[in-house]
Amino acid sequence: MSPSAVRRTQELTIIAQDPSVKVNGRILTAQVSIPAEELAPGPRGYRVQVIDYDSSTGDLYPPLEYRILGDGSYNDPFKGELDKTLLGDPKFHAQNVYAVIMRTLSRFESALGRRVGWGFLGHQLQVAPHAFAEANAFYSKEDRALLFGYFPKSTSDPPPGQRPEWVFTCLSHDVIVHETTHALLDGLRGRYTDPSSPDQAGFHEGFADIVALLSIFSLPSVVEMIIDKNFIDTRPENARRLAEAPELIDVKSLTVKELRSSLLTGLGEEVGQQMGRETAGEGGVAAARMGALRRSVTLTPEEYVRNTDEFKESHRRGEVLVAAVMNAFLDVWVRRLRGLGSKSSGEVWGASVAAPPPQPPPDAPATPEAGGGQAGPRPDAVAAEVGSGYLNRARVVEEGAGAADYLLTMVIRAIDYSPPTDLAFGDFLSAMLTADREIRPDDSKYEFRKTLRRSFAGYNIQPTSNVNDPEPGIWEPPDCSLHYERIRLDSLMRDPDEMFRFIWENRKELGLEEDAYTRVISVRPCVRTNPDDGFTLRETVAEFYQYLQLKAREVKHLGIKTPQDSETRGAMPDDLEVILYGGGALIFDEFGQLKFNVRNRLLSPVRQTNRLKHLWESEGSQAFPSHDAPAGGSASEKRFAKMHRLRYGVFPIRIENEEAWDHDNLQEGDEEEHREVGEEAGAQPQPAGADENGAAGPGDAA
Amino acid sequence: MTLRSYQVGFGDCFLLTFHYGARRRHVLIDFGSTGRPKDSPPDLMRRVAEDIRRYCEGKIHVLVATHRHQDHISGFTTSGNPGEEAPGDIIRSCRPDVVIMPWTEDPDADTDAGHATNVRELSLLPFTRTLNQMQTVAASIAEQEKHLRFGLDRRVSGQLAFLGEDNLKNVSAVNNLIEMGKAGRAMFVRYEDEPLDLGRELPGVTVRALGPPDLTQSKAITSMRSKDTDQFWMLQAASARFSLRGAADGEGGDADHPKSAPIFAEAAPLAGHQAPPHTRWFISRMNSIRGTQLLQLVRILDGVLNNTSVILLFEVGGKKFLFPGDAQIENWNYALVEKKEAVEKLLADVDVYKVGHHGSRNANPKSIWNGFVKKRSRRPRDGVLKTFMSTMAGKHGGHSADPKDPHTEVPRESLVAELKKESDHFSTQMLPPRTLFQDFELYRARAASRKRASKG
Repeated sequence: MSPSAVRRTQELTIIAQDPSVKVNGRILTAQVSIPAEELAPGPRGYRVQVIDYDSSTGDLYPPLEYRILGDGSYNDPFKGELDKTLLGDPKFHAQNVYAVIMRTLSRFESALGRRVGWGFLGHQLQVAPHAFAEANAFYSKEDRALLFGYFPKSTSDPPPGQRPEWVFTCLSHDVIVHETTHALLDGLRGRYTDPSSPDQAGFHEGFADIVALLSIFSLPSVVEMIIDKNFIDTRPENARRLAEAPELIDVKSLTVKELRSSLLTGLGEEVGQQMGRETAGEGGVAAARMGALRRSVTLTPEEYVRNTDEFKESHRRGEVLVAAVMNAFLDVWVRRLRGLGSKSSGEVWGASVAAPPPQPPPDAPATPEAGGGQAGPRPDAVAAEVGSGYLNRARVVEEGAGAADYLLTMVIRAIDYSPPTDLAFGDFLSAMLTADREIRPDDSKYEFRKTLRRSFAGYNIQPTSNVNDPEPGIWEPPDCSLHYERIRLDSLMRDPDEMFRFIWENRKELGLEEDAYTRVISVRPCVRTNPDDGFTLRETVAEFYQYLQLKAREVKHLGIKTPQDSETRGAMPDDLEVILYGGGALIFDEFGQLKFNVRNRLLSPVRQTNRLKHLWESEGSQAFPSHDAPAGGSASEKRFAKMHRLRYGVFPIRIENEEAWDHDNLQEGDEEEHREVGEEAGAQPQPAGADENGAAGPGDAA
Repeated sequence: MTLRSYQVGFGDCFLLTFHYGARRRHVLIDFGSTGRPKDSPPDLMRRVAEDIRRYCEGKIHVLVATHRHQDHISGFTTSGNPGEEAPGDIIRSCRPDVVIMPWTEDPDADTDAGHATNVRELSLLPFTRTLNQMQTVAASIAEQEKHLRFGLDRRVSGQLAFLGEDNLKNVSAVNNLIEMGKAGRAMFVRYEDEPLDLGRELPGVTVRALGPPDLTQSKAITSMRSKDTDQFWMLQAASARFSLRGAADGEGGDADHPKSAPIFAEAAPLAGHQAPPHTRWFISRMNSIRGTQLLQLVRILDGVLNNTSVILLFEVGGKKFLFPGDAQIENWNYALVEKKEAVEKLLADVDVYKVGHHGSRNANPKSIWNGFVKKRSRRPRDGVLKTFMSTMAGKHGGHSADPKDPHTEVPRESLVAELKKESDHFSTQMLPPRTLFQDFELYRARAASRKRASKG
């Protein structure tokens, strides 16, 4: 390939959500743009390797190979292919996982302004699109892999002579992005699998779902499908109207409530609901992941307030985060649409000529609140207004996909601004607000920061930072002067040891615990671009963490209360070794000056008191493994895997039984006791059968 | 009253005989094996069956199949061929008057809900159906284990092979039991406060069923109450049926071993020897993951089936004999928690205890063991507790020295030591090679003991 022909991007066809999402009877697909690279057969690239091995059958499928076109790009062999081919050709499945994972990775890289690694040692993620015949998919750190299962669509056997229909999780966009996000988040914040609070426990799942949802809704073809569906559902005769004038869309189908319910259409049914329906109306596999996604999307603040207790549990906690973010997305999208017709908003927004004015939607934040926080009329928007009650369909789609994409960038960037240990949702909110403000001080286009604050408040989540000026909820700059005298600026921006020197020299100012084990986890220079003025923002993000193991009685002397009256477990024993984590994310500007120290102090009395209470009540002494596990050590991983399984509804029985057995005192003795007995006795087996006289055999007494 | 304990390797087979003067009544409790002892003849099970028939003089009065694991029922397998007498045919020729099985084996409980005879059975339907689904999964696990060997931990592969095999559905044995029950009288038992109705077959003997509880009594027997779980297993079973690979053309198979078509009609997989080098590490890791997943599944199934074990307590002349099958905690739980006072009193003065689950760690509740008053250390006046265990070491579980898998060895060393210390303990492992059985006299009004060993 000549240098002039080097291409930066490559177009490949994927299934937009999953095979159950169809338009005009055909599976909805999209062509996505991903980083171009020279691929080996598989496809195997510099970050993703597809190896199509099925461990249930022992089969290895032949790899997908691309043909190079005249312009130096690869052909997209499945563009416009029939559904039959998309479902029936494992090579398409290989392309689908490769392209969706690469798209997700490049989305993270563009948002963070740097390369982003996986959560394991190594560069290439191995992907098995047909890993096993089971309704499951997961990220396995140990195996450096994403594994996607497949399962029969129906639990009853197909008629004789026919093949069973399969559901392939590798064809579900949201499943692929969700698992990829686990692998990426694990690389960015390896301590988020440590035992901490329900918030942290729920974050991995919630964040993965948010990225998955926004990734789907940033595809214009999906947004188009959603609004069309909604349009037709509002009034069946709209189908004809749509066919006659495809460029117009009725504003009445564009309320928060309407759009929320139709987001579900965009999610499809393949993985979660389908199987429930086909088994004689027995109700779906409610615990399946799609159930959780659906619940998140439909969880309104009102419902949350009514059922707050349900969402205190770790495995439901993530749903709240998803709901808060998705609600903000809908609010912003609808407000942007209102902006399109703002010149005569009453007419356009309120009603078509023929119908009575609709009631304001119950979702208060989205109702026309007297222009509260709205952008003023925009010249381009006025032009988009077409007659009373109708909007330009292309612009509606563009706004939806654009808002999803912008919000996706925000949530990914927030990771850099989040504390590296013991994350609470309020931290994440402050991180989103601050990260966005740093790159784009003017919030007026989408008003996402304002909307997110309001939306999170609806779910009782307040920003951790109580700063009000210059903007509510953003992190504060450090309020002390720091020592830079002995630091080499150039090294500081890339060298963990230099960074550690800086931290150590400033340990008092940065609020570190001097006696704790302290380590710099990463130093990452990044370059981000302001979408408004095109200028770049250079930052260096470093994270460190602290670890301290103390006896419960020692912790008490530090102002941290240990649990005394747990209903299930009583008081925490004084000599139990507990583990405390702390740490911070340090964000430096382009001159090497510290802008933010997003920290969780190791000895924060309130946080550690709550954390110990939660861990003691939920897991007992098991929450504190006896030595420092490396980030994502085996105990953490098990917890992570368990959480995942609970959510996916996989192996539910085993988990319950395991706990019952572990804690059941009915069980045949504790090991120690019996071992001692054995050592004492040291008895030799009595060959009773050989004893013909029966003098000492067990059969004697009666 | 005598007990003949057969040497069937890893399995159970006990023949309990009540002597009424010259007349004898025979109770056969389980007849199955998943591993013959070393040096035993290949037709061991047939020899055992023939010995049973001979000793019973062609008549079994009560037959108990505690649960449907192979190591408890494989001996009931019939030949299906009129010219050939399999062990199950021999047992059938003894025409048992009563066949006792757990309620989960009731064929009528598997019909549709409208025909269920009472409310209680309604709640059982999904459970019995799920059991069937689970056993289909076991069949596919045994099949998948074969190609997974590359990359599998030896421990995982050994357990998979063992559990997969033990949990296989033995249609022939199950049908034989049902047929024998129809010919005589079938009793599908659950925990009952009142003794079982066996006055005609075993006069003077009180027989109680202390387990399994049914789902209305105990949800702890399994956590399978939800439809989600039911569906989970239906899906697993559906997957399992398809992953049972058939002949290349995908034709053939039967109800229990259906053959599957390839997953993709028009995409043939590579032949095994073509796996390129870069895939090999990954393939072995994936096999290991799959092995672990399957092991988790089959362990659930194994526990659930163990917990369907019938727990029987025989009482005669003031003596008590406890036969709990392979019941685990969840099965015992109802009797020991809900019926705590009555059951603890009943069990305290047990004279003979058949050690649960071949001496594994999870089937001998500490509270029962602690409650036995005839343990040696309590210096009982009228004889020390006798314990019987039918087992074979090295078949199942790891050794306690294995740090990855502590205390899963069967029989469990620490338990055996405790049994030896506190009771007159007998294990089939103590029998010299090629010994078919050992007799014990459990109770006689006034008598010296009697013992007889026989070469098999």
